[in-house]
Amino acid sequence: MADMTGYFLMAWLQPNLLLLTALGTLLGIYIGAIPGLSVTMAVSILISFTFSWDVNNALSLIVGIYMGGVYGGSRTAILLNIPGAPSAIATALDGFPLAQRGEAGNAIGLSTVMSVVGGFVGIFVLAIAAPVISEFALTFQPRDYLLMGIMGILLVGSLSAGSLAKGVFAGALGMIVGTVGLDPLTAEERFTFGITELWGGISPIAAMIGLFGVSETLSQMHHLDTVAIRQKVDNIIPSRKDVIKYLPLSIRSSLIGVVVGALPGTGGDIASLLAYDDAKRCTKDPEVPFGQGCKAGLVAPEAANNAAVGGAYIPMLTLGIPGDAVTAVIVGALFIHGLNPGPLLLIDTPHLFWFTVGNLALANCFLLLFGLTGIKLFAKIVQCPKGILIPLILLLSVVGAYAINNAVSDVWWMLAFGVFGYFMRTYGYPVGPVILGVILSRLVDDNWRRSIISSQESVPLFFAELFTSPLSVVLLAAVVLIPLSQSKLWTVLKNKITRTAS
Amino acid sequence: MSSPNTVGKKPGESVFGFVLLIFSLVVFYHAYQISGFSALSSPGSFPMAASGVMCLSACFIIVNNFKTPTDLSLSFRKTVMPLSIVVVVAFLLVFSVVLEHSGFVLAAIVFQFAMLLCFHKRNIPSALLITFGSIALIYIIFRLVFQVVLPEGIVPEREIIAWFKNLLAGG
Repeated sequence: MADMTGYFLMAWLQPNLLLLTALGTLLGIYIGAIPGLSVTMAVSILISFTFSWDVNNALSLIVGIYMGGVYGGSRTAILLNIPGAPSAIATALDGFPLAQRGEAGNAIGLSTVMSVVGGFVGIFVLAIAAPVISEFALTFQPRDYLLMGIMGILLVGSLSAGSLAKGVFAGALGMIVGTVGLDPLTAEERFTFGITELWGGISPIAAMIGLFGVSETLSQMHHLDTVAIRQKVDNIIPSRKDVIKYLPLSIRSSLIGVVVGALPGTGGDIASLLAYDDAKRCTKDPEVPFGQGCKAGLVAPEAANNAAVGGAYIPMLTLGIPGDAVTAVIVGALFIHGLNPGPLLLIDTPHLFWFTVGNLALANCFLLLFGLTGIKLFAKIVQCPKGILIPLILLLSVVGAYAINNAVSDVWWMLAFGVFGYFMRTYGYPVGPVILGVILSRLVDDNWRRSIISSQESVPLFFAELFTSPLSVVLLAAVVLIPLSQSKLWTVLKNKITRTAS
Repeated sequence: MSSPNTVGKKPGESVFGFVLLIFSLVVFYHAYQISGFSALSSPGSFPMAASGVMCLSACFIIVNNFKTPTDLSLSFRKTVMPLSIVVVVAFLLVFSVVLEHSGFVLAAIVFQFAMLLCFHKRNIPSALLITFGSIALIYIIFRLVFQVVLPEGIVPEREIIAWFKNLLAGG
């Protein structure tokens, strides 16, 4: 217990970690707020710069950026009606009408406090649930990991885009990218074409910087001349009456957020939309209708998306399965630092888990501090012209890709993924599943081979074994139902059942 | 957030679908070359399954593309490949090619200045000021504070830094 408390307080007591967490949170708020800059982009670029650092220092900065970035998106959603991050899409629905009514300061203050409440709920659930899940995960069979990996890809593929086929294609492509190089089990060459430089595989960091840094920046070239509308921001500290009134809703939304965040493949964006929808249904007699500046419509998504941060850490740390694109990038960072996220992480390196929990809590406190101060400076920085921002991001992307191995070949990979990612985005293909696929490729490949070997290479026996444990049955049902629920067959079946019932 | 939503298909979307299908077929062929159908646990089994999924989903995408009408109000040059994007990609290519030979500082200054002139559309002195300011900031943060190794090229960076250190030590 004393050890646990010591690890928890590590980031709070060591000045360098304290400062890095504070810096990360502050940077995260600005990065999340500036449209065109995403947390995933920032974390991908930063990994290449921090991989020579001590792991605690690197994690402090990354945790701060993640926490700050998820919240930061709400600022521009309220002030400019442009969600700075996908997790703030639902925030704009009521946040911007509030700003138009001259209550921008109040809206920002309330969203800050509720984000912090959500953040703490997420961290609390992470601290309680992760050790239990981790212990339970030790009993998981390779087939369960295989099914969970597939489920993660299918979930992120089906939820992040209109078309499931595009999401599945992106996920499978990521898995192929992840297999390039020498096979880890037999050292056989896969997709190397006799090039020895490819034996180590394609750097996932170069792919991440390309897909999230370069491609997003290229997409932003379409909005180069967009002029932001300024809003007047006054008193930012929310009233005690408002905080008390919306506290029950924020806790309810936080619980939705943490559960959605903990599902492999789903993150703050889905959590906030679901929480908004729930708030709409459970709020009786709102002071103004939803969509016209209702405070409940602002509180719910903000509490949910920050709670999803703690939730997303649960599958990442206990199963090695990322909760969303940002956690996929963080898993990449952990691998680079020689750590292996999964059920053994909490047993082999419990200090890392409790350090992360303490660090998240610290970042959440900084969120409250930075969220309620410096609004005037913020308003100026956010309006930095894209003509200046875009070259800077591209420059950092090139430097970041080069810094991975001090090799120009990684810059070429980054450029290739960047241009390809731009076409993907333009034609409505989600890029998140590609990264999730790259990260999950090894897990799915290894566990497929382990489970088929244990089934003596027999497909019927493999399927029969799936029905021997309740967990495998549930996971198999999810893997089958996710694509089925998006097919026409599902609609036909649903209509038939409804007609029979009536 | 990244791309504007349109009701119809964007110009070039069908071609992109076919390119993906051809790419998937090539990947499948190479996946088959790894170990064929020798065993379900062979090194090639998972790549074959993944590339097979790519082929299937690409076929679904193509069929869906056929069903969706093209938005005739959009042009490829404006919606998908405007000149600004071609210019940025070209600048990036040149920057990456010359990065090792000319060094980060020189390549970054030229890249940043050219980008600002093209897209920030301000006068030359202000573009120069922003360029030198931002490169100095990046250099200080990443090269001096984070100790990231950046290509030196033809600029004798170490000598310049040593000269500054001597100057400060002497002062």
